[in-house]
Amino acid sequence: MSHPDPIPTMPRSVPGLFQRVLGGGLVLTLGAVMLVIARDYPMGRLYDMGPGFVPVWTGVALCLMGLAILIADLRPQPDLAMPGLHWRGLIFVSASILAFAGLIQPAGLVPAMFAAVAISKFGDSTNRVLPILIYAALAALGGWALFLVALELPIRAFWR
Amino acid sequence: MLEQFMMGLGVVMQPSVLVYALAGVVIGQLIGVLPGIGAITAISLLLPITFHLDATSSIILLAGIYYGSQYGGSIASILLNLPGTPSSVVTCLEGYPMAQKGRAGLALFIAAFSSFIGGMIGVALVVAAAIPMASIALRFGAAEYAMLVVLGLIAASLIGTGSQLRSFAMVLVGIALGLVGADTTTGFYRFVGMPELADGISLVSLAMGLFGVSEIIRSVNSEAPRQTKIAVSMRDILPTRAEFKEITGPILRGAGIGSFFGALPGTGAAIASFMAYAVEKRVSRRPGEFGTGHLPGIAAPESSNNAAAQTSFIPTLTLGVPGDAVMALMIGALVLNGVIPGPRLMVDQPTLFWGVIASFFIGNLILLLINIPLIRLWVLLLRIPYRKLYPVIIIMICVGVYSHRTSVVDVVLTLGFGILGYLLKNVRFEPAPILLGFVLGPLFEENFRRAMLLNGGDFTVFATRPISGTLLACTVALLVYSLASGLAARRRARRAATPS
Amino acid sequence: MLKTLFAALPLAMALSLPAAAQSTYPDHTIRIVHGFAAGGNADTVSRIIADALSQDLGQPVVVEARPGAGGTVASGYVAQQEADGYTLQLLVGGHPVAAALYNSLPFDSLEDFTFISTVGQFPFFVGAQHGRFASIQEVIDAARANPRSIRIGHAGVGSTQHLTGELLGLETGVQFLHVPYQGGAAATTALMGGEIDLVIDAGTVILGQADAGVFDALAVTSGARWDDRPDVPTLAETVAPGFDVLSWTGIGAPAGLPDDIAETLNAAVNRALQDEGVRERILALGASPAGSTGEAFRAMVERQIATWTRVIDAAEIERR
Repeated sequence: MSHPDPIPTMPRSVPGLFQRVLGGGLVLTLGAVMLVIARDYPMGRLYDMGPGFVPVWTGVALCLMGLAILIADLRPQPDLAMPGLHWRGLIFVSASILAFAGLIQPAGLVPAMFAAVAISKFGDSTNRVLPILIYAALAALGGWALFLVALELPIRAFWR
Repeated sequence: MLEQFMMGLGVVMQPSVLVYALAGVVIGQLIGVLPGIGAITAISLLLPITFHLDATSSIILLAGIYYGSQYGGSIASILLNLPGTPSSVVTCLEGYPMAQKGRAGLALFIAAFSSFIGGMIGVALVVAAAIPMASIALRFGAAEYAMLVVLGLIAASLIGTGSQLRSFAMVLVGIALGLVGADTTTGFYRFVGMPELADGISLVSLAMGLFGVSEIIRSVNSEAPRQTKIAVSMRDILPTRAEFKEITGPILRGAGIGSFFGALPGTGAAIASFMAYAVEKRVSRRPGEFGTGHLPGIAAPESSNNAAAQTSFIPTLTLGVPGDAVMALMIGALVLNGVIPGPRLMVDQPTLFWGVIASFFIGNLILLLINIPLIRLWVLLLRIPYRKLYPVIIIMICVGVYSHRTSVVDVVLTLGFGILGYLLKNVRFEPAPILLGFVLGPLFEENFRRAMLLNGGDFTVFATRPISGTLLACTVALLVYSLASGLAARRRARRAATPS
Repeated sequence: MLKTLFAALPLAMALSLPAAAQSTYPDHTIRIVHGFAAGGNADTVSRIIADALSQDLGQPVVVEARPGAGGTVASGYVAQQEADGYTLQLLVGGHPVAAALYNSLPFDSLEDFTFISTVGQFPFFVGAQHGRFASIQEVIDAARANPRSIRIGHAGVGSTQHLTGELLGLETGVQFLHVPYQGGAAATTALMGGEIDLVIDAGTVILGQADAGVFDALAVTSGARWDDRPDVPTLAETVAPGFDVLSWTGIGAPAGLPDDIAETLNAAVNRALQDEGVRERILALGASPAGSTGEAFRAMVERQIATWTRVIDAAEIERR
């Protein structure tokens, strides 16, 4: 946890049972997805492994682990309560990083940094538009000075 | 040996050489602080400069960047839960909780101090035992590597605290992520999907995502003030006598583990720091305190990764074979200056060989001297409210990850791992074992299959080769011991529970 | 910043000179993309050329590593860029190998590129532990007597080194055991430790060890003996008549590069290759500096695609 007293941004709305199966279910799903993708990989044998050997057995082990965790978690435990999802964080951090990824090649580093900072800043519900834009401009300037002037990373500042 | 080392010191102390040692460690420190921008990026950018320098100064400069970055890497780990270098991921585990308890200054001091001692022990080993260590390293073939990894995985994942089931599941997730890319043995594409993934997921984007991005997601709109009172007086930064005593053993063990993994080609500072942490957790009498800001959990990995950074020069300087990509760059810089590294380097170019090694000594000293005063400055960073800081952290992560392979896919993946790490933590999974599985899994598979290929599918090779057999025996002993002590603990717990 | 300070002197000199080309090209930063990890051989060659080109053309030249899938990530990217002379690519011997090895590349290895000039050419050397074999003939005899008993380590499945080993097996009619490693350095380490019997790799990997008496360089893969090592026999003259493998590095660009820009660049690369410092550095990397015309470069790539396609078919290496 990041802070002494994390405040959930959403009231807990998921049912208790659903919460309890989530952990094991996630692992089980990962294992199952692996097995589906790896189903046609050549297996070989233990002494002459094909490229599919380790993926398939890792997938199987993940499924077993997922099941074991599911079973263990089905017993009600007091500390299992899940904090609510930080929706604002999820949405704005995602949008910010995706904006950076989308802009860095066509538009260059400075616009990408500006957009990423501005968008992520909106994740903080107390911010207003003008201060955000000023902050983003300053951050982009600082980033330009650090990454392009001081470190001379081979990234284009703008579109050409 | 000492005589030659003194000669080397003479070389480094010339102002015209010293300036490169200084420049190297300062740049390295900065690069290490910046998350994602690794030593490789910095060294390859500076490579053309070395065209205009002599070989000794070039290597002293580039080497300083490398081990300097190991010092800097712990700073962002402790302050922001953001590993500056892959080898400082482990430092997050104890360093960040300490910072949250208002003890960032102490954590930073211990990191710098352990780094210094670890680095010095590494240097001492390079001076005293480079040749024998190199010849031991050469005796590690595929079977030995495979068994070493098994021992490491067992040691690290059988730790008797928390939910073993859960941490083992995360190791498996790490192994699964490590499978992405072209299979080393056959070239077969596994879980690739797009060509950008053919060389696998990058450790940088995995570590940045699981630790950095997930932390930001969790904290963006948090209303809690970042920190009310921050201790910056020297008294709060320096450890007490008891605390010093507590970290002595971990520092020494960490340095030993780091020196070993550093000298082995193909393993390095990241694996060393994980192993050092795992060993501390295992030998500790209070394993329950790990994860809450336990000092040995910072001291051991920091000592370990710096020792590894120094001893990783052993195969490079004595055999002329690079153990990893950074060392390949060092060899490149030597070659471009007309120096062919190899067994003859020590004989043919004594001033270069010993000058470089003496520069490690000086460089570590400089790093300690610049790091201690900087601690108070770094701690002040915590006074900035998180809401003012996180957008800047986001762009540092993005630029760092992007610059690593010039890959947009890596940036998007980092976000993906951030969300994954966030969700996993919400359902009580810790992300650290994922990285352990990620670095060790592919190493095991590659070497196991190579051992089978070389020995016609004969399993006895693991037991009959002396080093591999010893490692196997250690693994079995550890398993038996863990099971037995686990059973004993359960029996004790039951006995204690019955009367009440 | 520091880099600027260090680099200021030569760059300032370059900027004060009139630009070499008469046209306005280049008027801003040029980048050289390559498809390998920072710090690898391709990266180093790119930086040597970038350093020289920026002095010659009077504009900054930066190096951009886009590693992945044997260099094809970078090739796919460059093929889609505008052919304006500001995006160049450092191509390597792996370029024709990829054309032969991959089933579905998102680009055409010949048609989607403008070939400007080669930079360097280098053969591979066959290295063994010192004293293990008296000659390459002895290796072939041993492999013939006991198929799969001679273990050749290589830098990765589908690497040029790997295919060269396969080609040697095909031409001599013996069966080797090919053992993959992650890169030539790992294979060299394994050879030192005695885990394998041979390594086929570039001179940078083999020759330093040969000079130190650790390895013997048993043979060279080029058709004629290598100038730098006239004492090392060729495979062609010993065990595999007609054997001729040379790897190379060269500068390319997206297809459709205007002729005048291509000529400017070709001239600049060839001038750079006359520079003593550049020659020395390329020689130090085990290659001989060798410029070429665009047509000759392209013809070589075309020939090599045919060769490697044949090797991959015959050795039954799975395409990906």
